[in-house]
Amino acid sequence: MFRAKDVMKQNFRALTPHMTIAEAIRQFQRASEEEQRRLFGMIVKDDADRLVGMLSMYDILLLIRPKHTQVWGIMTDIEVSGVFEVIAERAKSVRVEDLMTPDVITIAPETHVMHILDIMIKKHIRRLPVVNDGVIEGMVYLSDLFYFLVERVSR
Amino acid sequence: MTESAKKSILSDVTVRDAMRIQITALPADSSIIAGIRILIKYKINAFLVTNEYGEPLGVVSKTDIMGAYYAGLPSESPLSHIMVSPPLFCNPGDSLESALDTMRTQRVYRLYVLDEASQRVVGALAYPDIVGLLYGYCRSCDRSITNRRKASGESFEETRILVKEVMTSSVVWFYDSDSLIQIMEGLSEHRCGAVLIKNAQGTPISVVSKTDLILAYRRGTPPEVPASDILASSRVHSCEDSTFLEDAIRKMIVTDLQRLFVWSEAPENIVGVISLSDAARIRSGSCHACISSRIRVE
Repeated sequence: MFRAKDVMKQNFRALTPHMTIAEAIRQFQRASEEEQRRLFGMIVKDDADRLVGMLSMYDILLLIRPKHTQVWGIMTDIEVSGVFEVIAERAKSVRVEDLMTPDVITIAPETHVMHILDIMIKKHIRRLPVVNDGVIEGMVYLSDLFYFLVERVSR
Repeated sequence: MTESAKKSILSDVTVRDAMRIQITALPADSSIIAGIRILIKYKINAFLVTNEYGEPLGVVSKTDIMGAYYAGLPSESPLSHIMVSPPLFCNPGDSLESALDTMRTQRVYRLYVLDEASQRVVGALAYPDIVGLLYGYCRSCDRSITNRRKASGESFEETRILVKEVMTSSVVWFYDSDSLIQIMEGLSEHRCGAVLIKNAQGTPISVVSKTDLILAYRRGTPPEVPASDILASSRVHSCEDSTFLEDAIRKMIVTDLQRLFVWSEAPENIVGVISLSDAARIRSGSCHACISSRIRVE
């Protein structure tokens, strides 16, 4: 019982490629409420449950970050009204498929937890989709892996 | 005396002070789709294309990608098929004015900054970033509108530059029933970044920019479809022609808008357009106190 299938979560929300970033943001908020955890990224799957990419919190933050950062550095009294409206408008015009990372590292249900640990550490990844014949069966989160392992260490 | 030798607010500024140090680059065998993704993700207008050793080979801009869309090139094609080569360079220690002279004479919107010792690209210099820098100077200037508004009722309007004095007073527009192909031809012919979209009654309803077009390309939208199929926004970001240039620049910088359409008398009556690139190309500052620092374009 030291395989991906033993630590993976089977209930998780996913995004679809054609969703707008505005909808993706709502999915992040809902999933965080439901799962009682802060989500740093969500997988993107097509109608046949095939994995097509990953959208991270960082991808969304890049869209929010102002381009002229030096101005925000020197001006402390910027009137922000209007700023968020423009960002919200942009979030509606950009889709998940436009920003997602299409090359996602995946693991199989039988991948050993120590191998998963190694991948997460080496690649700085917090979550790995568990894929069987192209179909996503679950997600392994760094935090779940942590508590799974330390429970055995502290016995 | 050359333009750049004239005394101006920019005289003591070097390329190093104005350049952006984040370099966005992709290998030449990456697909056009990968290129579109980083243009959108990092909100940039162009990126560097490198060889297998990371050395600069060329540049791909939104305009080049729009050209590929127009020409019917598959979006999986490698960037090497559409890049403009070689990139144009300047050095970190060059004066900003000499770099602007190069941009003007070569008719390009950006230069890459090459460190001569290491032969590495260390930055990029583009018009909108220069406006950001200049805006910083304007803000700290005693004559700044913001600073004067805080002072007591002093008259200052007469020294300010208004949007109508520097805007481009021809507006390229299309009906929402016109095809993306027609719009791309219009953008290319007038060398502009966006067109105004009007409905059948002639009311401005939206804007189609190069960004909207490359997103359509990315999504596999046939270029024969009417503009109404891809309209992303139901509003036109605009300002009145009597707005102070300083206020218009602030609005664009703070909200990451590349341009504002300009109206006169009523918001439906669009008479011009002002972009951050125009603002940088036309003038260094935003008031007549800086008139000597005018940056010549043509």
